[in-house]
Amino acid sequence: MAVYKHSYRRYEGDLTARWQRLLVLPRYAYRGVFQSRFFLIFFVICLIVPLGAALLIYLRHNIGALDLMNIPDDAILPINATFFEWVIQIQGSFAFLLTVFVGPGLVSPDLVNNALPLYLSRPFSRTEYVVGKMSVLMILQSCVTWVPLCVLFLLQASLAEGNWISANTRILVAILLGSAVWILLLSLLAMAISAWVRWKAIAGALMFGVFLVGAGFGETVSALFNTKWGSLFNISSMMQVIWEWLFFGGASETGETVNRLAAGQVPVWSACLALVVIGLCCLFLLSRRIRAYEVVR
Amino acid sequence: MSSGHVQKIKQLPWVLWIRQVQGIILFELRRSLTLRRSPFVYLLALAPLALLSLRLFFPTEQEILDGIGGINVMFAIIFRAFYLRLAVFFGCVGVFMRLFRGDVLEKTLHYYFLTSVRREILVVGKYISGVLLNFIIFGGSVAVAFFLLYLPSGWVTVEEFVFKGPGMGHLFSYVGVTFLACIGYGAVFLLMGLFFRNPIVPASVILGWEYINFLLPPYLKKISVIYYLESLCPVPIPSGPVTILAEPAPFWLAVPGLLGLTLVVLVIAGLKIRQMEISYGEE
Repeated sequence: MAVYKHSYRRYEGDLTARWQRLLVLPRYAYRGVFQSRFFLIFFVICLIVPLGAALLIYLRHNIGALDLMNIPDDAILPINATFFEWVIQIQGSFAFLLTVFVGPGLVSPDLVNNALPLYLSRPFSRTEYVVGKMSVLMILQSCVTWVPLCVLFLLQASLAEGNWISANTRILVAILLGSAVWILLLSLLAMAISAWVRWKAIAGALMFGVFLVGAGFGETVSALFNTKWGSLFNISSMMQVIWEWLFFGGASETGETVNRLAAGQVPVWSACLALVVIGLCCLFLLSRRIRAYEVVR
Repeated sequence: MSSGHVQKIKQLPWVLWIRQVQGIILFELRRSLTLRRSPFVYLLALAPLALLSLRLFFPTEQEILDGIGGINVMFAIIFRAFYLRLAVFFGCVGVFMRLFRGDVLEKTLHYYFLTSVRREILVVGKYISGVLLNFIIFGGSVAVAFFLLYLPSGWVTVEEFVFKGPGMGHLFSYVGVTFLACIGYGAVFLLMGLFFRNPIVPASVILGWEYINFLLPPYLKKISVIYYLESLCPVPIPSGPVTILAEPAPFWLAVPGLLGLTLVVLVIAGLKIRQMEISYGEE
């Protein structure tokens, strides 16, 4: 057909359902992410700890296997809230490293190459763009946090005697809620940093910086003012407080009631509040940056 | 070295090279000293000053009880834990990795390569500008922090300790260690920026290595920058229960060691940049 005969015609094919549109972003992002052999190896390494934990759970309930390997019964860790808290902390660290590798490259290339109008000129809102990009991280983080932990929980429930699930529902809730808070926080931070720092390497370093410098700064505050409130600058420490509370409530691992301030920790409400403030700051930074056009005067 | 070699070295255009290095340093400093270009570096340097300024208005009773000895230890802890391990480290990551990689991303490196400047001169100029930038920011921050920490004890105490006692020596040591930290970390990260397109992985490895230095056995401690820097700090700090103790490196080994490392790294960087080809499309 001659070029002049080409005129505007409405697209007549099937439209993607509105809720599915944001999944287009992770689909294409994963193609790029998993092309890296280094990342693939790292992703596999992230799953080694849950695999080991599953083996421990299996051994704990299989006296025959323990006897075969000459391992005394009490040498295996008891499978309780402490066990799951350890695993979630280790997996949380892996989720952080995954975020450092993937997060910085999510938004910055679109901003550097002025590609944002290409997304936003389609029936695709700013919110959908942000949620779509965040889902790239959230799906990956889920694969190393709550998904394997839930599998471990179910494995333990299936092997344990009696009504283990009903007695330990708190652990399942802690796994889901604790992972959700950590995943959301990491994703928001990574997105905000990626939107404001154009170079991926510096954005990655900044992710480390926010956590490590924040921790160091918090320690300095605590030392200078002889207070425990400096921990509010330490994101990992706040997350630790929240995880502990989710797994054990107001009690310690041995079941005693804990006065957190006396034990050198900030109260749970303050840790939650600080994380909400950080999240809101990230959202504000994102809303300032994710725009179709940027007018520079 | 034979007299022929010495004659050849003398005949090299040193005056021109020094002038070119000066030009590159001034140009880079003008570019990098702006708040817009290095906001995080300024934030890292100003954060402890903000805290110490606050402390002027809210001094704690404990430090009055501890006296000058307690404040000495407190500054030593802040300097080692915050300045050396975090602020200067991340400042160097931000500044030195960007020296060449930043120009590639901004598509401006070819302007340098098109000038009649040897590439080795470019490396030296950019490196010195990075060291100066970091030293101006962090050295200044350390000096101000030092005075801010002692001020709540009263001016008389400051005068006695700083101007009539060992305080000035401590201050010079801390500022000197900051300078050496900028030199050592700067050299390492300059090299990373030249060798790796995304230097975050090697930087993370170095960060981890430097961070766990206190846990390493003595012979492994020596393969790090922080070991030599901490050896030069004037006030020892109480070590934690899990710290593996090691003899501090003597001055005659620590300073030439760091300077030697820098020289080696600059030579490698000079050799690397001679073969560098710009391909902006791949970035």
